[in-house]
Amino acid sequence: MKVILVDDEKKFINMLAKRLALRGIQADAVFSGEDAIKKVSNKAYDVAVLDIKMPGISGIQLKKKLSILDPGLKYIFVTGHGTVSKSDEDLIQKDFYLSKPLDIEILIKRMNEIGKLGL
Amino acid sequence: MLKKMLTSMKSIWPEFQKHKQDVHLKSFYTFTDYWHLWTMSIFILVVTALSPLCIVTLIHYQLIQKSVDSELNLRTERLTSNAKRSTTFFMKERLDALIFTVNEMGYEQLTENDMLAEILKNLKLGFGGFSDLSVFDEDGAQVAYAGPFNIKGKNYKCQPWFLQSLKKKYFISEVFTGYRDVPHIIIAVKSIKPDKSFFILRATLDTERLMETLTSYKTGEHTDIFLVNHKGSLQTPSTNYGNIFTQTDLKIFNYSRTTEVSMATYQEVPVILGHSFISTDMVDTPFILVVQKKKAGLMHVWLKLRRNFNWTVGISVVLIVLVITFASTFMTNRLYLIDKAKAETMLQMEQNQQLASIGQLAAGVAHEINNPLAVINQTAGYVKDLYSFKDEPRSDAEIIENIDSILEAVDRCGTITQQLLGFVRQFDIKIKKINLQKLVSDVLSFHKKEAEYRGINVTVSIPDTIPDMETDSGKLQQILVNLINNAFQAVDEGCCLDIIGSQIDTKTIEIVIQDTGCGIPEDRLAKIHEPFFSTKQDQMGTGLGLSITYGLVKKLGGNISVQSTEGVGTCFTITLPVKIKEGELV
Repeated sequence: MKVILVDDEKKFINMLAKRLALRGIQADAVFSGEDAIKKVSNKAYDVAVLDIKMPGISGIQLKKKLSILDPGLKYIFVTGHGTVSKSDEDLIQKDFYLSKPLDIEILIKRMNEIGKLGL
Repeated sequence: MLKKMLTSMKSIWPEFQKHKQDVHLKSFYTFTDYWHLWTMSIFILVVTALSPLCIVTLIHYQLIQKSVDSELNLRTERLTSNAKRSTTFFMKERLDALIFTVNEMGYEQLTENDMLAEILKNLKLGFGGFSDLSVFDEDGAQVAYAGPFNIKGKNYKCQPWFLQSLKKKYFISEVFTGYRDVPHIIIAVKSIKPDKSFFILRATLDTERLMETLTSYKTGEHTDIFLVNHKGSLQTPSTNYGNIFTQTDLKIFNYSRTTEVSMATYQEVPVILGHSFISTDMVDTPFILVVQKKKAGLMHVWLKLRRNFNWTVGISVVLIVLVITFASTFMTNRLYLIDKAKAETMLQMEQNQQLASIGQLAAGVAHEINNPLAVINQTAGYVKDLYSFKDEPRSDAEIIENIDSILEAVDRCGTITQQLLGFVRQFDIKIKKINLQKLVSDVLSFHKKEAEYRGINVTVSIPDTIPDMETDSGKLQQILVNLINNAFQAVDEGCCLDIIGSQIDTKTIEIVIQDTGCGIPEDRLAKIHEPFFSTKQDQMGTGLGLSITYGLVKKLGGNISVQSTEGVGTCFTITLPVKIKEGELV
C-alpha cells in the first residue's frame, strides 16, 4: 500500500512516515498542498492522509484537486480540533477523519479497511 | 412587642434606599436615583390629585358665599319691605281716622271739649296709640283739648309743627318731646271752615305702639330695626345705636320710594343694611326705616357647614397623600426590585459572556495544543517502535534527538497553557499597567493559526511610543477578545483585519478594529449594542457580545462607535482614557 501524508507539522508527519515504514507501509511525507499535488502527479498512491487545516490549500480543497489527478485515491482526514465543523463534515462525507493526537494502530486499521472495501 | 413593630416598620421602609450599596450592580441599574424617582412620583401624583380638589373646593366656597350673600340680601329686603308696609299702614290708618273725624264732625262739634273727649275715647278704642286730641285756630291758639296733659291755652304759633301744618293739608311730624317731655308724634289735619278760615285738628301719638310694631319684626339678636329721620337721628330705640334721638353715623340716604339693600360695616363688622323711606299716598313722613343685619350672625350656619367641609377636605387630603405615598413607595420598590433582578441578571450575563469568550478561545487553544501533542505522540511512539522492532538499528543520538523534539513540543504546550492561564487571570478586577501592544498580540495569539488557515491578513499597527495604560486589564482584554472574535466571524477568506492603536492626546487612546468582512446592514447598525440583538441567528449567537462590550467600554470611562457598510466592512472605534482611577471604575 502506497500512502502520501500531507501536514504542515513537519516533525509529526516525518515521525508518522517513519513509523508507518517500520510497519511495512510505504509513506511519503509532504508539508503543503502544492508539494502533494506535485507528488501525486508523478506517482500513484492508494491512500492520502490530509490535515484539514493547513496554510495555503486546505485539506478539503486538496482532496478536490487530487481527485482530478487520481480519481482512485482514498482519503483519511486528520484534524487538530476534537471535531470537524459542520461545513467540513459535509465535504468529507464518507471519508474517515481522525483527531490529533493520532493512534497509529487506528490509522493503519482505517487504511486497511479502505483498501479492503475498495472505496 | 417593640421588636415586632420594628420588623413591620422595616417591611414598609423602602427597599430602594439600599440602592447604592452594591457597587458591582450599580452600573446595570436603569434608574440611578431612586429617591428622586420616589419623591418626583409622589409630588406629581399629589399635585395631580389635589389640585382639582382644591380648585373645586374654592369654587364651591365662592358659589356658596355668593348664594349666601344673595339669600341674605333677599331676606333683608323682604324684612325691610314688610316692616315698611306696617309702619306706613300705622301712619296712614291714623291719618285716615283723623280725616274722617274732621269731615264727619266739623269745627263746631270738635271744639266742644266733651265731644272731643268722646272722639278720643273712640279713637283709642278703634285704633289705639292716640294720646290726646286738640283743635287749633289759624293763629295757633289751642281751641279745644282732650287728653291727659293739661296744656290748654298755650300758643303754638311758633312751633315748627304748626308752621309746617299751615303749608300742607296734612302733616306728620318727627318724634319729639315738645312741652310735655314725652316722645310723641304729631298728626295734623287742616280743614277749611265755611267762612274760608281754617282750623287744625291735631293728634299726638305715643311712640309705644309704633315701637311695638317695629319690634314685632325683629328676628334674632343679629337684626336691628329702627326709624331715623332724614338727618339720621334715631326716632325709635336701636340695639346697635342706642336710645331715641341719638345721632347715627348712617349716611343720609337718597330719597327712593322702593326698598334698598346695601352692604356696609358697623364697627368694622360687615352688615347688610336695608332701608326704605316711609310715605303715605297723601303725605310724606320724615321717617326712614332701617334694618341692619349682622352678616356674621346670619352666616353662622354657613360657617358651621364650611368648618365641616374643611374637615372633610382636610381628611381627604391626608388620606390621598397617604395612599399616594404608600402606592409610590410600593411601585418604586417593585421597580427597584425588578431593576435589581435585571442588574443581577446583567452582571451574571457579563460573567457568562466572559466565560463564553474564553470558550471561543478554547477551540483555538485546543488546536494549538493538539499539534504538539501529536508530535509528542508520534515521536514517543517511534522511540517505542525502535525498541519493539528489535531488528531495527538504533543509535543513542537518534533517541536523544527524538526526546529533544518531545521536550520541544512539551515546551510549546507549556507556552500555550501559560498564555491561557495568564489570560484568564486578568479577569479579576484590578487596575494594572498594560502594554497595549502586548495585550493585542496576546489576544491575537489564539487566532494566529486560524488566520493562517483562512488566509486572513491581520495587521497590527500600534506605535512603540504609545504609553502604558492604567486600566482594568480584564475588561480591556474582554473588549478586544469580543471585537476580534466578532471580526473573525464576519470576515471571509482573504479578507483583512486591521488593529490600529494611537494616542489622541495625553489622556486618551484610540483603538480602531476594522475588517473587510460582510459589514452590517444600515438598519441593524443602530441596534447592535442592544442586548439580545443578533444577526447570527443561524449560528446561535446570543446577541450579548456587543452589548456587553458597549457596557465594558462605558465602565472604563470610554466611548465606542461603529461605522459599517454592507459588503465593504466594519470599523469599531474605541476611545479610552490612558489612566483610570479606582474610584472612576464603575
